[in-house]
Formats: sequence, C-alpha cells, structure tokens
Amino acid sequence: MLFNSLEFLVFLPLVFFLYWVVFKKNLQHQNILIILASYLFYGWWDWRFLILILLSTLVDFYVGQQIFKNIDNKKKAQYWLWVSMAFNLSLLGFFKYFNFFIDSFIEMFSMVGYEMKSTWMLRIILPVGISFYTFQTMSYSFDIYYKKLKPTKDLVAFTAFVAFFPQLVAGPIERASNLLSQITNKRDFNYDQIVSGLKLILWGFFKKLVIADSLAPIVDDIFANYADYPASTLILGVFLFSFQVYGDFSGYSDIAIGTAKLFGIELMSNFKFPNFSRNVAEYWQRWHISLSTWFRHYLYIPLGGNRVGKLLSIRNISIIFIVSGFWHGANWTFIVWGALHALFYIPVYLMGRNRMYADNVIAENSWFPSIKEIGQVVLTFLMVSFSRIFFRSPTITDSFAYIKQIGEDFSYAPYAHPMGYRMVDFYILIAIFTLYEYLIRKDERSPFKFKSRFVRFAVYALLILGMLLFYDDGVNRSFIYFQF
Amino acid sequence: MKNLILKSVLYIGLILLALEGLVRVLHLYTEDPPRFIDEKLVEKRVPGHQGYAVTGNRNQNFSEFRINSFGFNSANEFNPSKEDFEIALIGDSFIEGFHQDYDDSTGEKIENLLQGVSVYEYGYAGYDLANQMHLINAYAQQFALIDKIVIYLNFESDLGRAEYQPNYGRINMLNSMVFKIRDNIKLLAYGSKIGILEPLKRLVQGGEVNKNENEQPVPRENSDNNEDHIRLTNFKSLINLYGFDKTKTSILFDSRKTSNEFIEFCNSEGIDLIDFSNAFQRSKKPTTLIYDHHWNNNGRTLIASQIAEHFKNSIN
Repeated sequence: MLFNSLEFLVFLPLVFFLYWVVFKKNLQHQNILIILASYLFYGWWDWRFLILILLSTLVDFYVGQQIFKNIDNKKKAQYWLWVSMAFNLSLLGFFKYFNFFIDSFIEMFSMVGYEMKSTWMLRIILPVGISFYTFQTMSYSFDIYYKKLKPTKDLVAFTAFVAFFPQLVAGPIERASNLLSQITNKRDFNYDQIVSGLKLILWGFFKKLVIADSLAPIVDDIFANYADYPASTLILGVFLFSFQVYGDFSGYSDIAIGTAKLFGIELMSNFKFPNFSRNVAEYWQRWHISLSTWFRHYLYIPLGGNRVGKLLSIRNISIIFIVSGFWHGANWTFIVWGALHALFYIPVYLMGRNRMYADNVIAENSWFPSIKEIGQVVLTFLMVSFSRIFFRSPTITDSFAYIKQIGEDFSYAPYAHPMGYRMVDFYILIAIFTLYEYLIRKDERSPFKFKSRFVRFAVYALLILGMLLFYDDGVNRSFIYFQF
Repeated sequence: MKNLILKSVLYIGLILLALEGLVRVLHLYTEDPPRFIDEKLVEKRVPGHQGYAVTGNRNQNFSEFRINSFGFNSANEFNPSKEDFEIALIGDSFIEGFHQDYDDSTGEKIENLLQGVSVYEYGYAGYDLANQMHLINAYAQQFALIDKIVIYLNFESDLGRAEYQPNYGRINMLNSMVFKIRDNIKLLAYGSKIGILEPLKRLVQGGEVNKNENEQPVPRENSDNNEDHIRLTNFKSLINLYGFDKTKTSILFDSRKTSNEFIEFCNSEGIDLIDFSNAFQRSKKPTTLIYDHHWNNNGRTLIASQIAEHFKNSIN
C-alpha cells in the first residue's frame, strides 16, 4: 500500500480509530493491531513475501535470546550473531544480489575469453523493503551482542517492532533500543504529538507530490535521452534529480515519522536539510541518517573506526561507503556512487573537518549565511549532485556516457518540458521550496514552527494549493527508495 | 480525542474555504456557460453569457468566451443578409473554440484573410453531424441567407447516428443539483478538471481507466471496416433526411482520420471537401494544445487559411 494512495486514506483513519478507541486500554491488543495492520499494509503489494518478514522476525527473536543466554561466552554469542547475519544477509543476497553476482561472474569470465551462458539467472522479484527490515532485525541482534539491549520475551511486541508499517518498507531503519522499548511500554493519547504527526505528514506529502512527482517526468526524460541533449540540459537534469530524490525520500520519511506519531511512537529523524550541508561529512550527518548511523555503529566502529590510525581509517571509510552503495542495489552504478562519496569524504576526514558541523547548521546565529558558507554549500551540492549521475543512470556505461556528453556538447539550449509545461513554474517551485527549507533549517521535526496561527494556517492552505497546482494523474507515484 | 476530531473538522473546513477563495482569486477554474434546447429543438448555450475557459492546473491556457444572442460563442451576432457575404462555420468544441479568446477565433482569422466576409461560428461542444444537419434544417431561413456553409466533420466520432434526437438527458444532467453544486463550488470544479477525482472514480469503477480525451486516434489501417460502413450509411441517411445544399455546403475534414469509402462517396456525389490534413502534416509547430487535443492558435490559423484559400475565388 502506498502512503499516497486512496487505500491508505481509508486504512490510516480506520487503524487510528481502532488503536485509540477500541483497543486503547490493552497494550497487547494495540500491538496485535499494529501487526495485523502492518501485514495488511505490506501484503497489499504481495502477500507471499510476508513469510520473509515473519521468518526474519522469528529467527532474530530466537537468536537474540540465545546471544543473551551466552553473553559471557563470547564464542557462543558470536556464533549466534553469525546465525542472524547469515540468515538476513542470505535473504538479501538471494532476493537482491543473486543475479548481480551471476552476471558479474559471467562478465569476468568473458573478459578472459571464456564465454558462459547465464543459465543460472533467476526471475526473482525484489521484495519491497527487504533491505530495510533485514537491517532493522540485525541491529537487534547486534545491540544484544554489544550489551546495549536486553532481548524481549514478548514475541508480539518484537513482531510489531519488525513490521511496524509506517517505516517497514523504506525506513527510517530503527534501532530496537529506540523503537522496541516504545512498543513494549504503554502509549498514551497525546494531542500535541498527534498534531505534530499530522503536520509532518502534510509536509511529507508536499515534498513527495509537489517536488518529487512534478520533477520526475523531466528527470526521466533527460536521463532517458541524454545523448540528444546539450550540457545545459544534462546539468539541469542532475540538479533536478537531486531535488527529486530528496523530495521523494525525505517526504517518505516525514510521512513515516508523522504516521508513527499518530500511534504514540517517535521514530528517529532521517533527514536534516542535507541540501544546506557545508561539506560531504556534514551531508552524511544529514542524509539518510538511519542508514549512515547503522553503518557507523555496526560496521565502521567494529572495524576500528578512526581509532586505528589514518591508513586503516581510510580503509574503513572506503568500506562503509562502498557497502552503503551496494546496499542501494545490485548494480555497479551504486558501487561507483559509494566509492565517489568515499573519495569526497576522505580529504575532509584527513583535514579533521568531518565532525566540524555535527552540532550546528548553516547561519546558526544569523539570518543570512556568510559568503564562505554559501560557497561551501554550493560546492557540496555540486559534488553530491555529480555523484548522482551514477545513482540515477541505469548502467555504468550510461553514467560515463552522460558525463562524456556534457563534455562533448558543452553548449546551452533552452529545455522544453516533455509534456509541454512551462519550465519556469518548476524553477520558481524549487526556489520557494529551498527558501522555505532554509527558514525552518533548525528543526526538521517542526516544519510549521510559526508563532502566528494565521501564518501557520496560510502555509497549510498554500501547501495544499501547491499539491493541486502540480497534481498530475499520469505520473507514476511510487517511491524511489522502494526499489532498494 | 474529541478535541482532535473537533479541531480537525474545523481546520479541514477552514482550509477548504481558504482553497475555494484561492481558486476563485487565481481563477483556476473553468467556466461552462449553461446549455439548453430551444423551441426548434436545437441544443445551444444560453445567450448572453461571458466568462473564461481555463486549461491546465496552473492556468496555462486562459481565454475569454462570449455567447451571442443566438446562443453560440462568437464575436459576431448572426444577422445574415442578401447583400453581405457570410460563411457559417458549424462544428463541435473545435469550432466553439473555448480554448482561445472569442475575438481571436478561427472565424475571426478567416475574416482577416477575406475582406468583407462575416463568419458565423455555430460551434457547440458535443455536436455531431446529426446536430449540425438539424440546426441547418431548423433554421433554414437563416441559412438560406448565408452564402457558404462549412461543416467540420470528425468522421470517427460524428457519424454515430442516422437521425437527430434532442439529448434531454445531457441537459437534465448538466442542470441537475450535483452538477450545479460542482459548478458553483469552484474548488470542486477545479479538482474535477485537473483529474484529482479520477483515482476515486477508478476505485468505484473497479480499476477501469476512463477513456482519456488526449488519447491518440487509432490509425486508419486498424479501424473497423464495418464501423466505417455504418458511418457512411448514417451520413447518407442524414443528408437524405435534412437535405444537403451542395451548391454552398462544404465539409471540413482530416483525411488521415476518414475512410476512403466516405471520401469516394462524397466525390461521386459532388460534395465539396476541404481537407486540412496536408497543412497539419506540413506544419513544423504543434497544431494542438499541450493540455488537450483541441487546436491551438497555430492549428486554428492553418484551418482558417485552408478555408479562406478555398473560398477566395468564390468571393472575388
């Protein structure tokens, strides 16, 4: 079920009503409702893959207890941790990476002159959200292993933790220490929390329906026909894709966080205005936070982090970025994208500037950013956008051909929208959106923090008007990150 | 919970009111002048209405219309005389031309090309050939004074019936409470126009997609010969029933979307044809609007020049 579908419009109020009116007094019943609602939400795509979620749940529930039971016996605890990892990574490996590995092997052999036929290629459908919930369940086993968490004995609560529908298919990838503890404790109906959730949902829908969906046809057109366009159009395509993917994914996260709030649950923030980052390190503290912190906690730090000397730290940084790229999909484009980010990050790390902006935002104590900050933001945006050529292109060959075309036809020509719409409308839209995000840059969880009730109300009305002005029934409205 | 429900209802109501105001102020909605069936059973617009037709979510195409005293969108009043030279241009929404200012219509463009000629545009969205033939027949006296009649015929959609019957059902539906509410609540009219209600309609219809008016026409080679034959039979029936003055009536058509059998029949019967397909094919600029399938300014200019060229010699 998509957040932006009619089905969800019926589903959400119904579950909300049952949750707070019918099952209000019994935590166990509320959790059972969460499970049923979540399985219905997920099964709306393909009910067959519910078995994978259930298996992942049962394995990690059991493994968690075994790790805890053997916590003083490091070898045994480690063994059970490996069971969890092997199971979850096998699921991922089979459903997401099987064809990629076979394909890559065949290509490798063909490079040395040995032609193989791809008889092992399988017609595998990628289960939606598999990369998200497998990482979430693994984090539970990791946290028990690292003694940050005690396992739960409540299978219902654990099942609800794994399947919690607002964040099941595209994150934020929660940690058990945050989400499971909320699920096992009684939630109270909190008016302010619910209103805050509704506001985030509205903001998320605006980002998805207005920013991402309206830019999608332009980006699709430019990336599909890059060979026919001059540099000016190709650069425009890259910039617009940056806004599209941000609107799409952060919009999803806002709707997820807002929806969770309706059920009295606080999810972690996933985006903190990454377009205003002053270097690539800050960008990764603001973009897809739940994934970057996952890799930091469960891969980078166990590898030694930055406590192992410069050379090994560089190795560790390279590993997490490449693995992070690979997490996105079974394609060399994502691996190169990850490697590029490692290349951008390493100089920042070597200069000791990787934690420089961890606790502040652009123009922290003033209305306007300094010239230096503007330069830093522009440079970071350019680098990140450039890397997205690899992220967006269907193949690695296309990525390089796209870049080559920019160099070869370095000219300007006005771009015409594939459906004939006025392009200026989209430029104005992006300018207003960026300006508004700048105004609210200090708090990603309160997009409408205006003292005046009238101003708040006017903003709500204008956002909904924006959704109407840019509504297009013909646009494919699935979320980009569902493919990962 | 009570507080939440009450406040939600209040906020939703206020936001809807604010949106209604914004849609009105920004004139995002399109106006549709009311329709009626007159005493001669001709379907037309209620005279005297003026307003603006809007296409696209963001007001991308905005044009003024004016319904004259006879009930059609035209800069001219229809007062034909023996002394003057008049051309009647009859057709559906393409001729009615709500997508361009009424004073820059196809008729006005013809007048600019042919000095001393008045063009009367009898365009009405939804007209087929039966409507058009009935109109000429019902107002025979008026049309007797008009020197030339051009009927725009969309072969694939205008020959579905062999006899005219007034469509009271459509008029009643458009005058029904539901449609009146839709037209008076501009937010609803706007939402309906931009297709925001389509997913709901699809859900109600069990996932069936409505026929899109922007759909590309089926290539002629794929069309059903039997259907083409029925269309020709209907055409013959209509001209027999209502009469067809070959001395002054021409058919404006697109041969790319018309069967050869029909064209051959017209040629054999001496029916004058104005085919605009070549002009459209040669045009380097688009001939239709971006947001729907009606002719844009370039399309109308090409149509006007085809008609003017056709009658240039008759007038001199």
